[in-house]
Amino acid sequence: MCHEVKLEFIFLLPIFLPLLTSIFLFLNKKLFNELVTNFFTLNGSLLSFAIASYSFIALALNKFKAVNIELFQWISNPDISIGFTLDGLSGIMLVLVTGLSFVIQLFSTSYMEKDDNHSNYFVYFNFFVFSMLLLVMSSNFLVMFFGWELVGLSSYLLISFWSKKTEAAKAGNKAFVINRVGDFGFLIGLMIILDTFNTFDFYEILHNSTGVNENTITAISLFLLLGAFGKSAQFPLFSWLPDAMEGPTPASALIHAATMVTAGVFMLVRISPLLQHSKLASLLIIVFGLITALLAAFSAINQYDIKKVLAYSTISQLGFMFIAIGAGAYVAAIFHLVTHAFFKALLFLGAGAVIHSMHHEQDIRKMGGLRKKMPVTAAMMGIGTLAISGIPPLAGFWSKDEILASVFANGGIYYIFWALTLGAAFLTAFYMGRHWLLIFEKDNGFDHSDVSEAPKAMTRPLLLLGIFSVFIGFINTPFFHGLEKVLHVTLENVEVTHLPEGITLVVLAVLSIGAGFTGLIIAFLLFGIELHKRIDLQKFKLEYPINLIKDLSLNVLYLNKFGNLFFVSGMKNLSRKVAVVVDGMLIDGSVNFVSTAFNKTSKITSTTQTGMVRNYVVYFGLFLLLLIALFLATPMVPR
Amino acid sequence: MTQRKEIVMLEVTTDWYLTLAAMLFSIGFLGMMIRKNALIMFMCIELMLNAVNLTFISASKHFGQIDGQVFVFFVLVVAAAEVVVGLAIIVSIFRKQSSASVDVLNVSRG
Repeated sequence: MCHEVKLEFIFLLPIFLPLLTSIFLFLNKKLFNELVTNFFTLNGSLLSFAIASYSFIALALNKFKAVNIELFQWISNPDISIGFTLDGLSGIMLVLVTGLSFVIQLFSTSYMEKDDNHSNYFVYFNFFVFSMLLLVMSSNFLVMFFGWELVGLSSYLLISFWSKKTEAAKAGNKAFVINRVGDFGFLIGLMIILDTFNTFDFYEILHNSTGVNENTITAISLFLLLGAFGKSAQFPLFSWLPDAMEGPTPASALIHAATMVTAGVFMLVRISPLLQHSKLASLLIIVFGLITALLAAFSAINQYDIKKVLAYSTISQLGFMFIAIGAGAYVAAIFHLVTHAFFKALLFLGAGAVIHSMHHEQDIRKMGGLRKKMPVTAAMMGIGTLAISGIPPLAGFWSKDEILASVFANGGIYYIFWALTLGAAFLTAFYMGRHWLLIFEKDNGFDHSDVSEAPKAMTRPLLLLGIFSVFIGFINTPFFHGLEKVLHVTLENVEVTHLPEGITLVVLAVLSIGAGFTGLIIAFLLFGIELHKRIDLQKFKLEYPINLIKDLSLNVLYLNKFGNLFFVSGMKNLSRKVAVVVDGMLIDGSVNFVSTAFNKTSKITSTTQTGMVRNYVVYFGLFLLLLIALFLATPMVPR
Repeated sequence: MTQRKEIVMLEVTTDWYLTLAAMLFSIGFLGMMIRKNALIMFMCIELMLNAVNLTFISASKHFGQIDGQVFVFFVLVVAAAEVVVGLAIIVSIFRKQSSASVDVLNVSRG
């Protein structure tokens, strides 16, 4: 082991500070009013962000050499210890999570104002930040698993935060149960790992994987992949994320867009030294990533809930990250994770501001023309829309282009994958354009005289994130490989797919920009100037296919209904039968038999209880005689 | 018919004591079974206890060991304590129903 401690223990502070804040606020729930709660949670997260940035800078000065800290050894054989690591990968996540958590908490202070459970919200929120940091900073699979489960728990708590609403409580349950399916795979993967390597430590596992049987590695990868699918809402375990939008919007921004759902991507990049040895796993990742990206993008084009569009968009973008991982472009995956975190947080917070100003109306058909009422929000969401559509030089362009180019660079069947990814990028631009136009531009004839710009505490975080959404893409461009240098040590044994050079790269970039622009233009034609109303559509007989597409998109290809019918109703019927036959007849029957048997026999035997002392004496005598008889009948044991 | 030369002394052996104890015990037991006066039944119990005491002592003498005699002391102490409690119960029963008959006390009938 070459564990070397140089950066001191300081980077543990940002991990445990949110936990302390959470416990502190929980204990003083009754004492603090909103102002004091805000004071503590904001300063706590700001401090945590500051220390995180300091650690990252110190790490950068140290040329991103990984720092490992082992708090204590739990079990010596197999080697299981509680440890943390700070390298390029976890350093990025550390800064990202703490930074976004600060900005979003700033937004939350205004959004959650005068809520009955104001302090509870921040207790859960800080607890989530702690769990997420536990997940990303761990130096072994066990601590990662703790974090993995805890983010699931805090996500559940925040989804069903307004648990008085039935939908919110149900959505929380659904998210928890579907995540359990993924966690089950993750757990089995961990067991195989422990069996194969006799340790959970990332460093030892990832540096000693060369001699291991490829089938074992494939098995490990596939089970861990199931976990990643659950947490990152990939097909077929994606349907919990749109439902998770029942939670408070800022929580959705942090948990269900920027950080927690990317845990699967993070984990797959973490195990990339293993993953590169398994062709099957990589192929499965890219195929499922593609299915998810296309399916979710398709579903987003006819949603009417302002948050559900963004939820499907998140699923689709996560699909892009999985495509990158499947194509071996691990840097591109993390790059897209970072840029996506900023512009998706921006979009969600913008949606939150709109919902707040619209008095909790979420149907975009009832909005429209809000641009003049809320100019800052409209501008910022416009930036977010352009960024996610991949318009240069905004953040989304650089990362999405890198993914597309990496897929293309693999050659062979990957050309088809590239074309499909490009299609998903086109759909992304289309539905995001529609989203923005329906909210801010198109006049739907609703009266919005009481709508005004969101308070400053909401617009300031929007401006901050807007600036980042424009510029964050420059951390890793074809001219400046910043992120590659950061991840260099983490991925030193990994063969990363390299981008094509020269003219190919330019052509690919032009095509990806073209896809983005086409999507936006079509959206503008349909929802901005409403072209379809000016020309006579009857001539083309397009009504049926368009309605079909609208219907399929709104109902997510009826996958949810199929899942309900197949898994939920089937299970319910089965369990009802089990309840009647096994529980009702077998178990209840045997229990009832025992009780009735006792009842009947005791009625018979109780007749001997006459209450007459003399009768008892007779019994006593009879049994005494019996004892004596037995005693006499027993042969004497010789001494 | 010839007369015996040796005169056999009537020796009181352990068997006699045991027989006496058995008889006393049986009398006590019979009394328990057929009498319904609580006081008499109580005396029967005492009789049985003392029959047992007699058995203990004679066995102790027979085997030349002190254990049996020690046990008798225990039995005596327990019997004394039992008399205190038992008599108190009988008195309270008598007060309640102005007779010491146990047949009336059949409330615990099944």
